[in-house]
Amino acid sequence: MYILHLIMTAICLTLALVFAYLAIVSKDLLMAVVFSAAQSIFYALVFYLLLAPDIVLAYVAVSVGIYSALLVFIIRKTERYEKV
Amino acid sequence: MKRMEHIIAVGMVLAVALIAYFITHTWALGPIPPVELRGIAKLYLRGMMSKTTPFYVSSPEAVTSILWDYRGLDTLYETAVFFLAIIGSVTVFRLLREHEHMVEEHRKEIKVPGMTLIVKLITKLTFTIIMVIAAAIALHGQITPGGGFQGGAALAVAPLLAVAALSRYFVEDVGLKERTALALRTLGLAIIGLIALVPLMLIGLGGIAYFMQNLPKPWARYVGFPQWLYDVPLGGSLFFYNVAECLAVGAGFTVLFLLLSIPEKIYMKVIEGEKGE
Repeated sequence: MYILHLIMTAICLTLALVFAYLAIVSKDLLMAVVFSAAQSIFYALVFYLLLAPDIVLAYVAVSVGIYSALLVFIIRKTERYEKV
Repeated sequence: MKRMEHIIAVGMVLAVALIAYFITHTWALGPIPPVELRGIAKLYLRGMMSKTTPFYVSSPEAVTSILWDYRGLDTLYETAVFFLAIIGSVTVFRLLREHEHMVEEHRKEIKVPGMTLIVKLITKLTFTIIMVIAAAIALHGQITPGGGFQGGAALAVAPLLAVAALSRYFVEDVGLKERTALALRTLGLAIIGLIALVPLMLIGLGGIAYFMQNLPKPWARYVGFPQWLYDVPLGGSLFFYNVAECLAVGAGFTVLFLLLSIPEKIYMKVIEGEKGE
């Protein structure tokens, strides 16, 4: 059972890492926000696997909903594409 | 450039794999989920379960008990920090009364605000569902995982969706203006402060009580918030704190979203400098 937990945690964290990387390199900032939200979902799953359901409830609402929305508002007020 | 990105990506994966290997191989975290309790966890759990201990909370939810009873002052200060953060944001983004007519003018320019009909319909459905879930999280905070902040954060997502899909003018028409949301938030904070101060009022009557006291203690037995509502455990003051915190957090975030959804060109007009030198 512990091994299963560890494997699921490892898979979630690896996928979160992939999405974090995509969010960093993405030049389309709106896509970067979406990638960041996907990363947050995997983090939420990890919190659930680590038996922290209270954190999951706050984390999902804040990181996927509110944080993404704030960034989208900010992108709308500035520019969507990052210029190198 | 492309090769550099690949090297960075592979390097990140390797670094994480190495850290994960050493943490799990040396069993640094112990078994996941943990099977043993630390001393302080035992103290908390005993306080929640057993009516005979002086630290009885009457709530089966450990996290909420710790948040609003054992470590109540921490949460109170945390709420104060959140309060100041929202006040700061409102101060930065608010419009003066003399500039508010610009928003009204902008509203008249738009013929059909919001997104397409499909999005609007789905938003109306999910709006209700999110409100119900938020209420469940906050009202059951003393029984199941969840609580005031979690419920409030979920509650704030509902007006946020409405602002995004139906436009801020729809939300204003429903009656949720910035001032209303600010008033709701202040009401939540006032309730939190009142419940924290109620036990102290008993000192005037001659009893012993302390700040944020929840249930009677052997040395301060005059204060006691209700433990049961019919057959639902209320956890004393935990229930009231959760409801008030949910209101404060949800309305606080809503103020922020309503202010941020004011079009940028109105802000640009407001902060327009003087011409000339």
